[in-house]
Amino acid sequence: MAVKDDVAVVGVPMMNGSATVEGFVPARDATVVTRLLAPEVRRQYDAALGLPVGTMLVGRRSEDTTCLRVAHAFEELSGGFPRPAGPLTSRHVRGPHGGDPRTCPVAGCVTGRSRSGNDHRPDLRGTGDRARVGCRTQQPSPPEVPVRRTRLLPLAAAAALLLTACGGGGESVDTGGGGGGGGEGGTLVAAVAAQPDQFDPHVTTAYPSFQVLENVYDTLVVPSAEDLTFEPSLATEWETSEDALTWTFTLREDVTFHDGSEFDSADVVYSYNRIIDEELSNSFRFANVESVAADGPQTVVITLSQPTPNLLERIGSFKGMAILPENAAEDIDLTTEANGTGPFQLESSDSSSTVLTAFEDYWGGAPSVGGVEFRYITEPAAALTALQNGEVQWTDNVPPQQIESLEGDDSVELQTTPSVDYWYMSMNYARAPFDNRDVRRAISFAIDREAVAEAAWFGAAQANQTAIPEDSFFYHDYAPFQPDPDQARQLLQQAGVQTPLTMGLMVTDEFPETVTAAQVIASQLEPIGIDVEIETLDFATWLDRQGQGDYDAFYLGWLGNLDPAAYYQEQHQTGGPNNYQGYSNPQVDQLLQQGATETDDAARKAAYDQAAEIIVDDVSYLYLYNPDVVQAWAPGLSGYQIRADKAINFESVELP
Amino acid sequence: MIVFALVQLVPGDPIRLALGTRFDQETYDALLARSGLDQPLVQQYFSWAGRALTGDLGVSFRSGETVTSQIAERLPATLTLAVASILVALVIAIPLGTLSALRPRSVVDRVATVLSQIGISVPEFWMAIVLILVFAGTLGWLPSGGYVPLTDDPVGWLRRLVMPAVVTGVVSGSVITRFVRSSVLEALGADHVRTAQAKGLTSRQVFTWHVLRNALLPLVTITGVQLAYLLSGVVVVEIVFSWPGLGQLALQAVQARDYPVLQGAILLFAVVFLVINLVVDLLYTAIDPRIRR
Amino acid sequence: MTGAPLPEPAPSPTATDAGVPSTQRAARPRWRETLGLLARNPTAAAAGLVLLAIVLIAVFDETLAPSGPNEISVEDRLQAPSLAHPFGTDDLGRDILSRVVLGAGVSLRVGFLAVAFALVVGSLIGLLAGFYGRWVDDVLMRFMDVLFAFPAVLLAIAVLAVRGPGAGNTALAIGVVYVPVFARVTRASVLGVREEVYVRASRSVGASDFRLLTRHVLPNAAPPIIVQTSISLAFAVLAEAALSFLGLGTQPPNPSWGLMLAEGRGFIDIAWWLAFFPGIAIFLTVLCFNLLGDGLRDVLDPRQRTLMAGGGR
Repeated sequence: MAVKDDVAVVGVPMMNGSATVEGFVPARDATVVTRLLAPEVRRQYDAALGLPVGTMLVGRRSEDTTCLRVAHAFEELSGGFPRPAGPLTSRHVRGPHGGDPRTCPVAGCVTGRSRSGNDHRPDLRGTGDRARVGCRTQQPSPPEVPVRRTRLLPLAAAAALLLTACGGGGESVDTGGGGGGGGEGGTLVAAVAAQPDQFDPHVTTAYPSFQVLENVYDTLVVPSAEDLTFEPSLATEWETSEDALTWTFTLREDVTFHDGSEFDSADVVYSYNRIIDEELSNSFRFANVESVAADGPQTVVITLSQPTPNLLERIGSFKGMAILPENAAEDIDLTTEANGTGPFQLESSDSSSTVLTAFEDYWGGAPSVGGVEFRYITEPAAALTALQNGEVQWTDNVPPQQIESLEGDDSVELQTTPSVDYWYMSMNYARAPFDNRDVRRAISFAIDREAVAEAAWFGAAQANQTAIPEDSFFYHDYAPFQPDPDQARQLLQQAGVQTPLTMGLMVTDEFPETVTAAQVIASQLEPIGIDVEIETLDFATWLDRQGQGDYDAFYLGWLGNLDPAAYYQEQHQTGGPNNYQGYSNPQVDQLLQQGATETDDAARKAAYDQAAEIIVDDVSYLYLYNPDVVQAWAPGLSGYQIRADKAINFESVELP
Repeated sequence: MIVFALVQLVPGDPIRLALGTRFDQETYDALLARSGLDQPLVQQYFSWAGRALTGDLGVSFRSGETVTSQIAERLPATLTLAVASILVALVIAIPLGTLSALRPRSVVDRVATVLSQIGISVPEFWMAIVLILVFAGTLGWLPSGGYVPLTDDPVGWLRRLVMPAVVTGVVSGSVITRFVRSSVLEALGADHVRTAQAKGLTSRQVFTWHVLRNALLPLVTITGVQLAYLLSGVVVVEIVFSWPGLGQLALQAVQARDYPVLQGAILLFAVVFLVINLVVDLLYTAIDPRIRR
Repeated sequence: MTGAPLPEPAPSPTATDAGVPSTQRAARPRWRETLGLLARNPTAAAAGLVLLAIVLIAVFDETLAPSGPNEISVEDRLQAPSLAHPFGTDDLGRDILSRVVLGAGVSLRVGFLAVAFALVVGSLIGLLAGFYGRWVDDVLMRFMDVLFAFPAVLLAIAVLAVRGPGAGNTALAIGVVYVPVFARVTRASVLGVREEVYVRASRSVGASDFRLLTRHVLPNAAPPIIVQTSISLAFAVLAEAALSFLGLGTQPPNPSWGLMLAEGRGFIDIAWWLAFFPGIAIFLTVLCFNLLGDGLRDVLDPRQRTLMAGGGR
């Protein structure tokens, strides 16, 4: 019987692994030893090993590992236990006793662990291997954090430094977090899909921001809810000079900003010049503008370099052209605060919701609800559940596949209306064989637009071979491509293209419908010998590759278009800012220029109709469909109007 | 350094993304100059690192807010969810793991094993959506998601916390249960326990003094690991439950190529990881005097 | 590491390897023994059989799938499970059973590739760190710590953002996440083994480091690594699903289970079968890998096994 070096055995010198107590001879046996040496235990022990009674030896080993192996060896000898996995055979046992455990009954192993769990084993200290100190058998533990005392010091210092930094930020939350209480007079809770990125209307380009800003700021003119023609807002009337180069706007009187200051022409001049001078994201809208000037407090004069029939669309299509009070950028932090003339004031915004309160002095009369809370609910199933159980009263986070199931649902009022958006596929003119008109036309003949629209929008979209939707004044009924695989094959042959031809199709998970539609397109192009390789990218990478021209084809949409110039000019004019595909047709350029400056609506439409036909025939864009706007709200909610431009206006909404 | 390099490696142009699709070249150049992205990378790195040391993590490209305030805004939600999840996890794991270790191969053990295996094997978002449909939809007992600060509305806070905490807690708890079981089993089989029994201690004494204490070490480790994981944001669960945590912030920052926010978030995660390691080490020495020098 | 020097004991001259003919006694090969023991554990055996079936399905996916998994037919969309489509059809009218069958191959390939990468790289790092200790250990493990400090999902997203999406890159992304895990497990295991008597003995008779590592350290440090492999396979399949949920994993129209689950989540309240069947497939596979891992642990870890077999102390 071997016991460990730190178990006291009368008369046997011990050193506990330390030279300082070397030679210490205990005067008493440890309790364990006493018990082991009890006659009945010895008898049992010897009997178990089949040895003559009284042969039990007591010795001591300081080496833990050996001790263990002996124990294993003993188990192997004495019991029916299976052999341990490692090569733990007797010949590995070495030590003062030496030899084969068969002849030397060295067995059992007693460690000196005391009641307190305090195991003094200096012999193992400093190996740095906790696993062997605490538990000898290695658990196949996944992420184990080993003890690293020496390493922690420099890291701890760094951590302390950074914690200071974070702590500083934390205080601002405590002071600012309490403001989000509900307003009086009933708050409408609207579930939107994402958090606004910021609230500076001239800087942001994010739709979630404009959902909020629509209710906070005003523009000089606004698209009407019915037909999207422009109607007065902060400007009550306007007139155009004979040469169409000077526009004079008369401003509304008795309009106040949320901070109580009066609205006048200086605010308009400031806002527009801010966009122009700082080259903010909407400065392209002022490309034709020579100057913006005040003529008295209620009049603003805009001078143009060329006739711009769509000036109203340029300055009023959305709240990106909002009117801020003069010097707003200096006075407040526009990214987090707002001071507009709209029906609601920005009360607070955090990472779960944005809260607006009614502005009592709104020029159009105070809104009927006390406030609006925009709550961000990304997951459509969650948004719908929240609407059904009454947590929210309005949402636009309704995927099209839900339309059918919601139609019979009494707990939800669902409405759809055709939007002004369009979705298209575009092929790269710089890459063969997509530079070949026949190849592009072949692909256009192979695609069944109805099926793509049905798949991506569950019927809530109208297939369209041009960009402008049916409800618009500028709609042009032109549909030269009927699905015809035979003609498509013939065109490919004519172009001398060898099939199978591989075409990369770039889509983005930012707009999941592109991923769905791409799969349908892939299945439709397969029969004519085109292998579509779908590449789903995140939007940043997608835009990067679009900008670099690193693609065969891509699939995307243009949203919120109100004027034919927005539908066609930037995308198809030679060298146009959004003509990524590299389309160039002098005839189209001339027609687009004509449309851009023609002030007579009918003549304008004729120019764009003609341009559209050529664009469609050349397949500069392969137009697919115009989707619907889908929104749902609580039954009984009134005064809300669903709009084709997807502006969300709660000015006159009334709670059920 | 690594944080910075990795973030910069990601392709994609934050400026184009910030401008959306309609813009012209002058606007682009103006914004590029404003964001400082036109400077050489090395210079960008040193100015970032220099400011980071003083606690200034820069300003988000996307929102124009400071990174520290964005992170600070989301910290309470993340902490709430992480702590609640760990509590749920431990409440599940300790009794279940201990019971099944004390009676290995018994019915309790088998049930616990199966439950923890299921907990580990079920995809989180699947469980999350099903919970929403059942408890917020069909039964209507709980809100479908969102977050309100405890100080504003304690009841609403708790009601919104339940489902996300249960989802992450069940997953973490299942992992921890297995650890508790194996470490208790391990401790039970240790020689000193055999000795303690041989010494004639009662099983209660053996359990509290010899088994539990030793089993606690791996438990502390794995709890630390799980806590670090939870604090770094459970992106998927946060998205499904509209929980405004750091994971969502980081994901949005990746998607928007909002380098300052992303760098800030990763730095914070690294710090959290180190702090938790430190705490775990300190706890070790408290629990196990052998580790003390 | 506290960097304590290897307590190199003077090999006692009495113990001679010469006295024993060979260290490799003619025993049954260990893997057969392991298999035999596994077979006696009903849960692990069942899990292994199910996994075998899944692997077979993955191998013969094309022949087994009842119809083309990417065959779109919008008229047949969202059909509930029926005789024609036992698992129903998805939002594009594709047969879900066929896609689940084909998805087995995609998901398992990603899983295996990811774990293979993590296993090879991580174990090598852990082996070197654990065996050589000192600065090798310091450098390697600190690098692993840095990697480990990154949130897993974010790390995988970063890898995917740099490399672009796709099955191969998904596997790489998941693999990178698991490298530190394998490194740690291997290191810990090697630390336990390197001081074993047989290693010292072998060293004392002049075996080279390479021989020590390959003949003694690695084989004996292997059990936890094998167990970790099985468990990691489970997590890799789950991770693939999570990445696809975030739109970064496998590219459509290829049917990986994760992608199907992600696509189906928008339909979960109107057509449960879209997400249910791939969900079950993931669940079953993950469960089996975990159970197999548990079984392997029991078999390969002698002490646990003893406890199990003996029913206790």
